[in-house]
Amino acid sequence: MKINITGTKIEFKKEQNRLDMFVIDFTSLLNKLQIKYVIVSGYIAILFGRSRTSEDVDIIVEKLDFKTFTTVWNTISDGFHCINTNDVKEAYEDYLSSGISLRFAKKNTFIPNIEFKFPKTDLDNWTVKERKKVVVNGHHFYISPLELQISFKLRLGSEKDIEDARHLYKLFEETLDMTLIQEFNRKLKTQTLFQRYLR
Amino acid sequence: MRTPRINLKELEKIKEENFRERLEFIDRYVEWMKKTSNKTWSSQQKDLID
Repeated sequence: MKINITGTKIEFKKEQNRLDMFVIDFTSLLNKLQIKYVIVSGYIAILFGRSRTSEDVDIIVEKLDFKTFTTVWNTISDGFHCINTNDVKEAYEDYLSSGISLRFAKKNTFIPNIEFKFPKTDLDNWTVKERKKVVVNGHHFYISPLELQISFKLRLGSEKDIEDARHLYKLFEETLDMTLIQEFNRKLKTQTLFQRYLR
Repeated sequence: MRTPRINLKELEKIKEENFRERLEFIDRYVEWMKKTSNKTWSSQQKDLID
């Protein structure tokens, strides 16, 4: 495996699968509008080769005002539709601003879909701020720091999540910031799971 | 219809063993990925996902 990792950027090439292309299509719209976002959760393990797929891709987007969100909505609406509602005001007020995610899929489809949400916690805000740039075959998008993903997956705790954590940990073991992982393990109370399943 | 006796402890043990086996598979798979070209591992992943 050939992969270039620097402080804030991970660059590699791969044969893109449908889920990769779906993510690139969606995030390229956010990039075009210079919206700050970060991909979290399962897709990150899949991006780096995990042998499974997913029906959704979680994206945390910086909190937007209604006017900016309307621009995002109109831009996204070119190729995607919102599963929850057709009304931009309802999407903003009854969903995003109320802490409920929106789901966007390609037109006339249901899966895969993007789970689009505003930050709800300090951890969400930290992830958006500390996001890492990934460049795949020349396309770029942003993902959560791997150290947080690994600890957070352990916190979620299903077998699938622990397997995702192990995949990322074993793949990037030599380049991870172990102090940061230990700090997240302490705060998320995942030290025992880390010792049991990742070491 | 008579149904078999079910030992839930036994099933739980099997579930844990399966999980451990999958974790072991992940280790082998990652080791293989590391020494394999991006084109090879990602083509296999693409076949699985698509």
